[in-house]
Amino acid sequence: MLKFMRNKVVGIERKDEDTLQAYGVLEDDIYAVELEVSIGLSDMVIRSIQGRFKRWTTPECPKAIPVLQQAVGFCALEEGFSQKVQKKIGRKGCRHFANLLVECCATAEQAAGLIRGRKAERVVAGSKGPGGTMQKEAKKHPEKSFEETRAARSEDRGGVVIDLHVHTYPASACSVARVDDVVVEAKRIGLDGICLMDHNYVWDRARVDELKRRHDFLILRGNEITTDQGDMLVLGLETPIQGIIKLDELRTMVSEAGGFIIAAHPFRGFLLFGSGQLGLTPEKAMERPLFKQVDGIEVLNSKVTEKENRFASEVAKGRGLPGTGGSDAHQVSDIGLYATRFFSKITSERELIDALRGGRYEAVAFKKEKDVF
Amino acid sequence: MPHILFFSRNRSTSVEHIDRSSAKACCRLQDSLMDALVEIKVKLPDLELTNVRAEVHRSDRAISAEAVESLRKAIGIRIGPGLLKIMKGLVGDREDLSELLNMLDECCQGVILSFTKDTLAKAPEDREKAKEYYAWLVKENVRLYDSCIAFAPDSPLVDGMKPPKGNDE
Repeated sequence: MLKFMRNKVVGIERKDEDTLQAYGVLEDDIYAVELEVSIGLSDMVIRSIQGRFKRWTTPECPKAIPVLQQAVGFCALEEGFSQKVQKKIGRKGCRHFANLLVECCATAEQAAGLIRGRKAERVVAGSKGPGGTMQKEAKKHPEKSFEETRAARSEDRGGVVIDLHVHTYPASACSVARVDDVVVEAKRIGLDGICLMDHNYVWDRARVDELKRRHDFLILRGNEITTDQGDMLVLGLETPIQGIIKLDELRTMVSEAGGFIIAAHPFRGFLLFGSGQLGLTPEKAMERPLFKQVDGIEVLNSKVTEKENRFASEVAKGRGLPGTGGSDAHQVSDIGLYATRFFSKITSERELIDALRGGRYEAVAFKKEKDVF
Repeated sequence: MPHILFFSRNRSTSVEHIDRSSAKACCRLQDSLMDALVEIKVKLPDLELTNVRAEVHRSDRAISAEAVESLRKAIGIRIGPGLLKIMKGLVGDREDLSELLNMLDECCQGVILSFTKDTLAKAPEDREKAKEYYAWLVKENVRLYDSCIAFAPDSPLVDGMKPPKGNDE
């Protein structure tokens, strides 16, 4: 017997010389919604939109209908159109309307291509990067004076607490936190250091050294890399990785570089259910091949539920892998929600990797412990 | 102008839970330019793709057998956040495969929704009790807060709830 079915039907009518009218229906076991969208043929801009719910779940769902008007003016040819719809119509309104709107516009685009006798070409967006391009080769740069300062401070405290998972803008497009603001906040709440873990982005060493000196603060470089087995926090790898890489290939590269791999948020679930509800047990999860390839597991991450963090912790214990903590901050207020307390001083990236290998550390709910918000 | 459709599309995705350890999802697309099918098999509870199969019966663009076969590179990945990005990275973000990748994504979304359905089906009929149930769901799951208008900060379903820290995705 079928467990779930979704049908989407879209019809495109040419209303006049420069207008396509899309009529779409999405009906599945959970929702039934309809959309009528008027789209300019010459520019593929949404001119008007109307929506109706036929079936929905929560009493609040119908409030999503007025939100649809925000889509007026969106251009279906724009780079990132689908993500924009998910964000503005899905997150602020209803995800099912967003899904159907994307389908209506994609269908209209096909129709427009036929009418014009050619496929519509997508606008190519410019490249991004914080203050420059991706670093190709690490530059040698002394850290001496900073290291000396940090060493003295670490010895006083007998260890350091570092947020090992921080994203900044524009290095990570999904972040809204500028690196200077991140450092100011990290110092304010009493962290000893942060590790920049921007997505598939290698920070320039000289740039980070300049930040460290200017802020007199420990800033380390890592890289969150998406693999076929999920996201990995990688330390000690200078080679930029673009796109998706197989975990076994990444393992080889990181081993050759003398680096360290941490499985990031390995049990991040879905909107309405998590690993537990699927019947996944820690014992079963431990068998996943990925846990044979990594050096550690992130057991405290602020983007997953407490249950998922506990689950990761159980798997780490079961596999005999060390557990780390990091906020996965994408905004300044997230910094330090979770961190890793090391019981030895750390003043450089090499010392961080050595400390991670040594295993003398623990994941901590830093802000909660210190009661700083 | 007569109200004749210029272009039409039907996309149907179905999910079958075969047994406690496997599920199958199938997406069939038929529109004015294309007729294709993508089917996946998924291992439960890991949600790992154990098989991917595609058929293109009709298409306005040339899609080689090699391209269709390349979808099988997705075998071994687990359904989870960032799935489409991972699939594009493995299979290649090529124009001739974009629709087949969308269909593969629809299959995976269908599998997720087949479990979501179970959670939503437990909501009580009574309006007030249903509100309590949804509020409880939000408390249980940090990701749900501000994920759509029903769980927006000013929604009665999250009334009195502090914004969960770190919920910005």
